[in-house]
Amino acid sequence: MLPWAYQAFLCVLVITARFAIPQLRPQSERSSKAFSRFLLYSVAVATFVILLNSMLIRGGATMGSILGFSLYEEGLFFGVRTASRLLLLTYAVLLFFVSTPLKELIRFLQQKGLSPSFTLILLLTLHFLDHLPARIHQIFLAQQARGAPVDAGIVSRSRALLSILSPLVLSSIVESIDRGTALELRGFLNRPQDARLITQPTAERNALTIILLAGTIILLLATLSRWLLG
Amino acid sequence: MSKSIRQRIAEELTGPALPFVAFCIALNLTAGQVTAALKIPLYLDSIGTILVAVLVGPWAAVLCGSTANLLAAAFGNPTMMFFIPVVAVIGAFTGVVAKLGWFRKWYLVCLGGILQGILAAMVSAPISAYLFSGVMMAGTDFLVLYFRSLGNTLMNSVLYQGLASDPADKLVSYLIVFLLVRNLPQRLLARLHGAANLRTPDPTP
Amino acid sequence: MAARLEISSLSLRYSQGAPLAISALSLTIPEGSCVGIVGPTGAGKTTLLHCLAGILGKHHPGIVLSGRLQIGDVAYEGFPRDILFPTVGLVLQDPFVQISGVRDKVYEELLFTIENTGRGGEGSDFLIQSVLRNLGIEHLANRKPTTLSGGETQRVALASILIAEPSVLLLDEPITALDATAQAKLRAILKGLHGKTTVLLTDTQIDFPLSVCDEIVILDQGKMIVAGKPRQLLSDGHDLANVGGWKRWGRITARLKDLSHEASREAPRILKALGLR
Repeated sequence: MLPWAYQAFLCVLVITARFAIPQLRPQSERSSKAFSRFLLYSVAVATFVILLNSMLIRGGATMGSILGFSLYEEGLFFGVRTASRLLLLTYAVLLFFVSTPLKELIRFLQQKGLSPSFTLILLLTLHFLDHLPARIHQIFLAQQARGAPVDAGIVSRSRALLSILSPLVLSSIVESIDRGTALELRGFLNRPQDARLITQPTAERNALTIILLAGTIILLLATLSRWLLG
Repeated sequence: MSKSIRQRIAEELTGPALPFVAFCIALNLTAGQVTAALKIPLYLDSIGTILVAVLVGPWAAVLCGSTANLLAAAFGNPTMMFFIPVVAVIGAFTGVVAKLGWFRKWYLVCLGGILQGILAAMVSAPISAYLFSGVMMAGTDFLVLYFRSLGNTLMNSVLYQGLASDPADKLVSYLIVFLLVRNLPQRLLARLHGAANLRTPDPTP
Repeated sequence: MAARLEISSLSLRYSQGAPLAISALSLTIPEGSCVGIVGPTGAGKTTLLHCLAGILGKHHPGIVLSGRLQIGDVAYEGFPRDILFPTVGLVLQDPFVQISGVRDKVYEELLFTIENTGRGGEGSDFLIQSVLRNLGIEHLANRKPTTLSGGETQRVALASILIAEPSVLLLDEPITALDATAQAKLRAILKGLHGKTTVLLTDTQIDFPLSVCDEIVILDQGKMIVAGKPRQLLSDGHDLANVGGWKRWGRITARLKDLSHEASREAPRILKALGLR
């Protein structure tokens, strides 16, 4: 089999795994939408990459034509290899994250020795991500009510950008100082290293999932090393 | 005796710095909402990293940028994970120039932004070229195609695309941060490790 | 267990050459009592509390600080940060920032503080339930902290500090975001703490401290102007125009004095209802 076939096969395997193995299914509505959105987007990009390379890299037999542009065999194989490598790398990462709740990942990292400070940063980031969009919207409306030129030319809109970012950053510094102070007041910085900051329950494990994942990783490593070694 | 990396990180990550770094990570991920609402063609996906570099320190900035990219990958943009070395360099470089006092003068901020952009383009080019063959699923892919059609190698095409867009993008981000931090009250800044980066040193008595 | 708090000649500037934020303040608070620090904005009330909690100390960059703190039998030089917790507990003015943001339930918020003290274990549940009960918030145990109202958040923030069993409790303008009902609940909680914890609270208005505090200290521009028991303070004829509510209380006590001169039976009842025993 040619290298591009390996990669294309792995792509199909990864996508199939997401739908076929229950434990690899997205853990939340947001993850599911993210995966579906990315899948559609990446298929469009992959098609574009394959077509473009087929037209630009002229070698081998002519495979056909689209809108008067000929498609060449060498370009097609190169396009498929490029697109499948891109998709494989991105799908593998995406599949990992959509099937693993972030809090469980943070809990796992904490167990493996991640410091309480860094665990706190990760957890607080998730907290801020929930509240920041609403705060940005509130500041946007407040500035608009003051006459900030949100619909004018690019220069005026750039000034409006500062009038939104400035109160956002200033209020965040004030809140961070207060929050940090509150954490110090509750003794967080002297917290014993072994005290767990997050105690999310562990998800169920499945032998089949582990075998399939391990097999996929081995195939991926084999493909990568074959590509790197030429 | 020089301090270990762990000591330096602990010095930077004091109580107030922890929530501030978390906020800046979230800002990296959501600043695009502000620019989208105002229809401004900027990403501002490093603005939080630059803020941390200036107000806290380089190690905290490396942490901020890396974590933001990791979370961006987790939230549906998996290519971001592979560019963690780029944001780490952004954080480290910005932290160093901030310590040198470059964020006290606008012309040094401009110089820093352009240099940062060049550095970011140089670090991201090999990642983009070798891992993704120059295809990033973004509008800049057309720029890469254009440079390739002129006869350049893939690596050079990706580098030229980066040099065409990154210095301008980083210059704007640096200027925005400069304008944001220059009027912050010293009493607030004093609680963060990087306060001295913005304070003009007292003249020798 | 409550402890006596003694502040000796505390002076503080935020930086060399800056004006004094606190000027030669000396204060003794008997164990188990409740003292109110009242003054206008910028008087130095929050600065004082931050000093006592160890937030502003000699470790703070640029600070110029002198003075001595004694809590019970232990003297603290330089107002150190780490040592003061959990002996001193401070509830900040904005209770929302006191919530850690990393725990999904109020119960776990309280557990967070216990873990920080290194005392997590079998007794934690009993301690948490007891604090929740004392503050009347047992029904909030399984609620998400970010969904609570202002008054509820205030009580959870207070619980998150009380769970560490501080000897001294500091409250920075605790009634700012509270309605009358929530203020009444807080008043009842503070009266319940009397004798068990030494409490120091601040406010810009004198009304709330008059109703809960054993002693009131008036602070202005970093200096102590006057101190005394509430009723004595009101009847001593001070001119404190900068203290919120002072003029109103002055008129009330003047009228009550007239009533008592008329030997009215109403005067003692009114004084008792106003908490000016």
